[in-house]
This record gives sequence, C-alpha cells and structure tokens, in this order.
Amino acid sequence: MTETGSLAPEAKKDCTEARAALEEFLHNELCAEDAADVRAHLATCDECSAEHHVGEMLTAALQGACRDRAPEELRAKLLASLRQARDQHA
Amino acid sequence: MPTATLSADGPAVTRSATAAAMTATLDSPAMTSDQTDAAKRDDFAEQAMQYADQLYGAAMRMTRNPADAADLVQDTLLKAYAAYGSFKQGTNLRAWLYRIQTNTYINTYRKQQRRPFEAPLDDLEDWQVGDAESFTATASRSAEAEAIHRMPSGIVKDALQQVPEDFRMAVYWVDVEGLSYAETAEVMESPVGTVMSRLHRGRKLLRGLLADYAREQGIAVQGTTEKEKKP
Repeated sequence: MTETGSLAPEAKKDCTEARAALEEFLHNELCAEDAADVRAHLATCDECSAEHHVGEMLTAALQGACRDRAPEELRAKLLASLRQARDQHA
Repeated sequence: MPTATLSADGPAVTRSATAAAMTATLDSPAMTSDQTDAAKRDDFAEQAMQYADQLYGAAMRMTRNPADAADLVQDTLLKAYAAYGSFKQGTNLRAWLYRIQTNTYINTYRKQQRRPFEAPLDDLEDWQVGDAESFTATASRSAEAEAIHRMPSGIVKDALQQVPEDFRMAVYWVDVEGLSYAETAEVMESPVGTVMSRLHRGRKLLRGLLADYAREQGIAVQGTTEKEKKP
C-alpha cells in the first residue's frame, strides 16, 4: 500500500490518515491491523515519523516529570489510619 | 461477591459489608470466617498501599499542592477500605482506586478550592485551544522533539499544572499512568470519545506551552527550518 515514495496523491492521503491515528498509535489503542498500517507509513515518511517522535518525547517527558513519591510521613499516616479502620471493624 | 459498581459512597458500601458479614455467619464457623474477612481486609489494605505513590502523584495533579494531596490520598484509601467489598477481585484495582479518588476530589476538594471560574472546556473550539501544529509547520519537528527531550522536568510539571483540569487529568491517566482509553473513561466517568478529545487537546496545549518556554530560552525550535547538521 505504501510502496511509493513519490508525492502521489496516494501518499498525501496516507499522511492524513496516519496523522489522524498517530495519538492512538502512540498509546497502543489501535488494533493490530491499523497499527501495522501506521507503522508501515512511518517507515516510509520522514515527516510523519518526526511528528510521531515529538509525541513519544512528550510522553517520555511527562513520565519523567511526574514521578512523585508519597512522603514517608504520609505513608506512616496512611498505615495508621488503615489500622485504625481495621480495629473499628473488628 | 457483590457486583456493585465503583461508587465510593452510597448504600452499596454498607450493603456489601453486611452481606459479607452475613455470609460469614451462614456458610462456615464464625471464627474462621471472621479471620478470613480480617485477612481479606488486611490483604486489600496491603494491595492498596502499593499504590500510595501513584495515588499521591494523581492527587498532586488534581489539587496542585502537597497538603491537599496528602489529605486526598488519605480520604481515598479510607473510602476504598470501607468499600472494599464492592471491589471485584481480578479487576483493575488501580483504576478502581483512581475512580474513588476522582469522585472524592470532585465532591470535596474541588468545592473547597473555590476557584473563581473554571468553565467546562470540552466545547472549546480548536482555535481557542491554540494550535501546536501551526508552530511545527514552520519549525523543524526534530528540533521540537529535541527541545522537549531536554526540557527540565520542573518546567514540564509546571506546564502540565497550567492545563485545564479535565485535559490535564486525561493526559495524566493515559501518558503518565499508562491507563487505556477505556480505563480512563471509567475513571473520569466520561465516554471514550470525550477522553480522546481531552487527551488530544491537553497534549496540544502542552506542546504549545513547552514550545513557548523553549522559545523564551532561545532554544532553536522556531523560525525557518534549519537543516540538520550532519556529523
């Protein structure tokens, strides 16, 4: 389907379709068949591939930035209140 | 096991707890059943505690301050503990906890925070959201990817906090927590299509904010496309 590297209208249509599906592709929400189509297109299209890379970097940046840890003080508090709730139940 | 849905409060909670107690006395010697129930509760508490960091992370995104976040996690865990009978073993505990947390946040903290105005944003037109693609049309995408890659995490965090709540949380659940669209829809009690739209808009806004920052720092992500330097 995406054999040609030329600027045929076919390629443009592929780009539009791929772009529309890119976010779902990134989040593994496409069925295997659609994902394979997107993957095949990315392999032949630098522009869409670069766009996908921006998406990947954004996800990675978010994951790196949001690594919060519950403070120890909070952990201790949580355990204490869970224990208290258990004792009330008993 | 009771098949009550994920409501954090409401009569389902007491009913299932009572039901558990009743089956205990009916089915088997009381001592053993009590122990079983207690063991189940302990087990549940232990499982839930494993998500303390993640619940705190989500609470920070919601409340945007550590004190409220800590209180929210505590309330969430206690509600979950009280409602554990309505949790179906084998289903996604994390998503169930997030949903309780989301409801708790909406019902208590958001009201208290008294923000002057936060209109529902799902109806915003694209031009109101800002268009990250117009930026990338003139800038090289690889430069943008590189700028995002090198962005200090404090900046990324701040940018996320600036994104309107529903968009922000959709991005958080999917991109940071790795929930599926369906799970996120359940946590947000919204249709999958709404989740997708929030996610798209949230990511778009973020890209715009990060691009603004990069531009302020003079990082070359704008202007005419620069030919990539080959080594």
